[in-house]
Amino acid sequence: MIDFLLPSLGADMDAAKLNCWLVKPGDSVHKGQIIAEVETEKATLEVECWHDGVIEELLVEPGPARLPVGTLLARIRSVDAAAEPLAPVELEPTTEMVATASAESMRKLSGQPPPPVRHLAHELGVDLAALGGSGPDGAITRDDVRRAAPATPEAPEPLVSPPTRVRATPRARFLARSRGIDLAGLPATGPQGMVSAGDVERTAQPPTTSDEPDDKVSAMRRAIARSMSHAKREIPHYYLSTTIDLDRSLKWLEAANEERSVAQRILPAALLIKATALAAREIPEVNGHWVGDEFKPSESVHLGVAISIREGGLVAPALHDADHLSLDELMSRLRDLVSRARSWRLKSSEMSDPTITMTNLGDRGVETAFPVIIPPQVAMVGFGKVIESPVAMDGAVVVHPVVTASLAADHRVTDGHRGGLFLASIDRLLQEPENL
Amino acid sequence: MNTQEARQVIFEVLGDIAPEVDPSIVDDDLDLTEQLDLDSMDYLTWMVGINQVTGVDIPQRDVSRFLTIAGAVDYLVEHSS
Repeated sequence: MIDFLLPSLGADMDAAKLNCWLVKPGDSVHKGQIIAEVETEKATLEVECWHDGVIEELLVEPGPARLPVGTLLARIRSVDAAAEPLAPVELEPTTEMVATASAESMRKLSGQPPPPVRHLAHELGVDLAALGGSGPDGAITRDDVRRAAPATPEAPEPLVSPPTRVRATPRARFLARSRGIDLAGLPATGPQGMVSAGDVERTAQPPTTSDEPDDKVSAMRRAIARSMSHAKREIPHYYLSTTIDLDRSLKWLEAANEERSVAQRILPAALLIKATALAAREIPEVNGHWVGDEFKPSESVHLGVAISIREGGLVAPALHDADHLSLDELMSRLRDLVSRARSWRLKSSEMSDPTITMTNLGDRGVETAFPVIIPPQVAMVGFGKVIESPVAMDGAVVVHPVVTASLAADHRVTDGHRGGLFLASIDRLLQEPENL
Repeated sequence: MNTQEARQVIFEVLGDIAPEVDPSIVDDDLDLTEQLDLDSMDYLTWMVGINQVTGVDIPQRDVSRFLTIAGAVDYLVEHSS
């Protein structure tokens, strides 16, 4: 029997409310399936299960109680007895420093295909242990995983609407949240039976005051305050910055986008993300976590992307294995991530897995960012806005688009020399956009 | 597509991206990204949504027409069948 515990939910997130179960006793579940929805101060999170098995019993009822990370939520009967010894590892509680959580620990114990293969298998719900490999020396390849996947690649998501999740339009969700109204009890007269903004406005429930604990924005501010205070108290930051000529990158991107429809267009941010992820792979000391009293490098690059929430606040969920994604994959993942972050619907692993984070303040008009590292990570990269600037080139002055890339890094782990090499790698990678 | 229909599509898609926006306070002639605090991803997602609903393609060279609501409405009216 496997104990299913409330997993780590990211830095300084030590408790959550259980909103609803998406499974019931007797249901079969598989690795990567979303089985519950919980609410933290920062987001509504979809909690993934990391086992194949059958739900034996659900031990916690949905409700307003705040459950500490590590709370026993359910018991899962393992389909494969051999999987049992892995059970205690994956969702081990509970200190904030265990933010790397489940996925990484599982991977280390469950055979060794490379991260992109494991990630694809996770995405598609394929059990790698059951696969034969067609690669060199019997290695499992991405193609092997794709062949073994169920016909619908989206299979890990629940195929039917979960019974207790209310369908509502984005504006209805926003209004309900800002007024402290529970969507569950409302009439649903919107498109496809969804609760509409009008349905919310017609309810008689009074708006909550901003002092209510349910006020998500102020709750998010408290979470940010805790995390950033921790960072400034504990982490000896050092800062570096460099100016990167984007002429080649942006010309290349413009030509690439010229042939693309609007839905396939790539934003400059995707180039910056990919270059940062690749550079983090080259300089592994910036990619990982400070746990206890030592640095634990990560073999995967799960790049956190800072996403501002317009009502106030910020989340930085992970783009898993960003160094292995094509620019097209990056764009579609990023679009999905931004949209879910803004509607407060992220997965627990996205909050707990980032190994390094980047912020791109270019849209907001500043030239240089001075980031604060998100613990337990050890580095954060910032990009300012792209500006036209004189650049000396072959003995002449030309005007090129440039961006300032900055690095905040943890002096316990790296010194300025390695940090400088990391920024130099980003620069070099951006001079060869066709290879990103 | 007439002006009214174009406006409706534009605000419907905007409502998905920035649900907190009250359409009645949006100024048709001001830069949309600045007045609504949209970032480049929001802005692209908005154009993708408009493209999906209306079928009107928005080539790279025409993106600047979508900086304001008024510009976007005119563009859709001109380019829809």
